[in-house]
Amino acid sequence: MRGNLPVPSHRLSDLVLSIADNKQMLGLRYAEWATRAPSLEADIAAAAMGLDDLGHSRVLYGCLEPLGADPRGLERESDPASLRALPYFDEPWTEWAQFVAANAVLDTAFTVMIEACVNGEVEVLQHRLRKMLLEERYHFLHGRSWLKSRIDAEPLNRAWTEAIEWFGPPDGEVAKLHRDGKLSMGPRELLARLEERLESKSPNARVDWKGWDPVRRRSRPGAIDEQTFGMLRGLEEKKFAATKEG
Amino acid sequence: MTTHYKRVSGDAVEYEVFARKTRAEPLHQVGSVVAPDDDLAMAYARATYDEERWCEMAIVRKEHVIELWQPGEV
Repeated sequence: MRGNLPVPSHRLSDLVLSIADNKQMLGLRYAEWATRAPSLEADIAAAAMGLDDLGHSRVLYGCLEPLGADPRGLERESDPASLRALPYFDEPWTEWAQFVAANAVLDTAFTVMIEACVNGEVEVLQHRLRKMLLEERYHFLHGRSWLKSRIDAEPLNRAWTEAIEWFGPPDGEVAKLHRDGKLSMGPRELLARLEERLESKSPNARVDWKGWDPVRRRSRPGAIDEQTFGMLRGLEEKKFAATKEG
Repeated sequence: MTTHYKRVSGDAVEYEVFARKTRAEPLHQVGSVVAPDDDLAMAYARATYDEERWCEMAIVRKEHVIELWQPGEV
């Protein structure tokens, strides 16, 4: 127990599920901009990056069983708050600046964590996640370039804050996994690596770890919107299913 | 909503995209992209022309191509 917080799980599979859920939502939100970006090239890039991240999430879900403990329960079928995505993905983005901030900061934060997995001591992650780093190079170039267009500060600060929260507290499970050799970086190193890649310092975000949820790796309550959850569960598709009479 | 982002119409640069599927064949032009810098041009080229299994892809700023002659000049 750390103060009044629940005991966090030190299972690597919990972290991998968090990466998978976040990449799934990132991919979906990217794809929503495939016809709304500022140029045709950016439309195509949004679609391509969306497909990449949805594919990455599939690979990550496939790692859960080999890791020995699949944390996914039945509640994921009915409760959107059981998914482990960040608040940034709860609602569809309405501004291009939100896309750019997610692309530059959050996508890179997930990549930095994947680097820590690939360079850690867990064989299944070393082998299966390496290819993602090659594909993520182009997401990074896209985000870094668009960041130069000086987007609004609000989504950028929010993305930085959620990235810091997602890396976790200095004495949390990511730090423990780092000490155990399963990850090559802990929260401090992950943030330093993110700042190095983006060539900028993170805003002075004060995270209240007392209110932080160690399973969902976020402080804010909430969940993804109903329509997106329905689509993920196949409920939207059922509306179009042929009836017996038809 | 997005009209103030002059990432293509402002300082846009045209890039030619080259690729090949095997080491045995030469690079050939597969298309072009428009972007304000090399980073975005690389991202756009990869996203736009990635449907084939290329073993190599490269981009060149169109302004860096030195033309010896053009159609109708020979």
